[in-house]
Amino acid sequence: MASADLPLIERRLRRKYEWARARRAFWGFTPSLLIVAGAALFAKHPSYALIFGAGMFAFGVAALWYGRELRKAVLPGVALGLIPLTLALCANQMQHACMGGACMTVCLPACTIGGFVAGVGIAIVGHRQKQDLGYWLAASTITVLTGAMGCSCVGYAGVVGLVAGFVIGLIPAFGRRLLRRRT
Amino acid sequence: MHDDLHPSLDQLVAQLAEGDRSVFTAVFRALWTPTLKLCCGMLKNEADAADAAQQAMQKVLERASDYDPQRPALPWALAIAAWECRTILRRRSRRKEVSDEGAPEAALEDASAELEQRLLVQNALVAVGELSESDRETLVATFWDQAGDVGGATLRKRRERAVKRLRDAFRRLYGIG
Repeated sequence: MASADLPLIERRLRRKYEWARARRAFWGFTPSLLIVAGAALFAKHPSYALIFGAGMFAFGVAALWYGRELRKAVLPGVALGLIPLTLALCANQMQHACMGGACMTVCLPACTIGGFVAGVGIAIVGHRQKQDLGYWLAASTITVLTGAMGCSCVGYAGVVGLVAGFVIGLIPAFGRRLLRRRT
Repeated sequence: MHDDLHPSLDQLVAQLAEGDRSVFTAVFRALWTPTLKLCCGMLKNEADAADAAQQAMQKVLERASDYDPQRPALPWALAIAAWECRTILRRRSRRKEVSDEGAPEAALEDASAELEQRLLVQNALVAVGELSESDRETLVATFWDQAGDVGGATLRKRRERAVKRLRDAFRRLYGIG
């Protein structure tokens, strides 16, 4: 084997390596489509659920393909995203709650509370595993996209509520991190 | 010497399994030569060996994500390469079978037995490579009937332990005891 051929072989094998990772990521993340299907079935606006679900699936596959800290963010991201998703889908079935003479939709508070709990969860997992920024960003994106499949029940307001709750949940962990850096 | 600056092959393959592309070239260079040598030794034909080495390296790198960091990387990669060579040899002997329809069956059986023997020796060498220096010395001394400075019960104990570890390594690498 001529040594001049080696760079060519290496390039070809590199492509094979990337394809193998991509295939593995795609099939490995396929079960998450069941969550998308469930969300589309029970959501008020199935089209929104499908759009956010496609985003979640694409991002999850990309994170698994890339590997390293992004790969570690996928499972906690999906698992914690299920909290706002489940709350929002349950709220969808209730439509609204009335207290005294006033009635309000329960979707927005469900999304905000779910987002807050998911944010706290991501902060705890990230803090315990001492993960870096890539993990935080990837886990947050997947959590928000998973939750958004159900939180589009009151249009984009639900998604905004989810993001707001999520950010509030993350603040203590970020604050602690900043303080530790200063000291 | 293996440290942070000069990581071992096991560490490099573990990093590649995690998705660290910066070690790809290092892993490729570290595995290419032993893989090619193994294929040359088994196939006795340079062109076939080069093809088999490429196929084997492709399989190793495609399965890099499945790599178990608890296992040594080189025997793992060489086991895949040996399997690839075995497949090529089988294909070759099948082709020969078709072209030499009139040839006596005994000759084919001999070739097949020799092939099996060669593969077994290659696999055993890979498994022996997994053992510690003292285990290897004990087995070699047993093979050549040289007891060295120890004898009797001590040698017997050492031999038993070395054979047990060899059996474990063989089982771990090839799934057979």
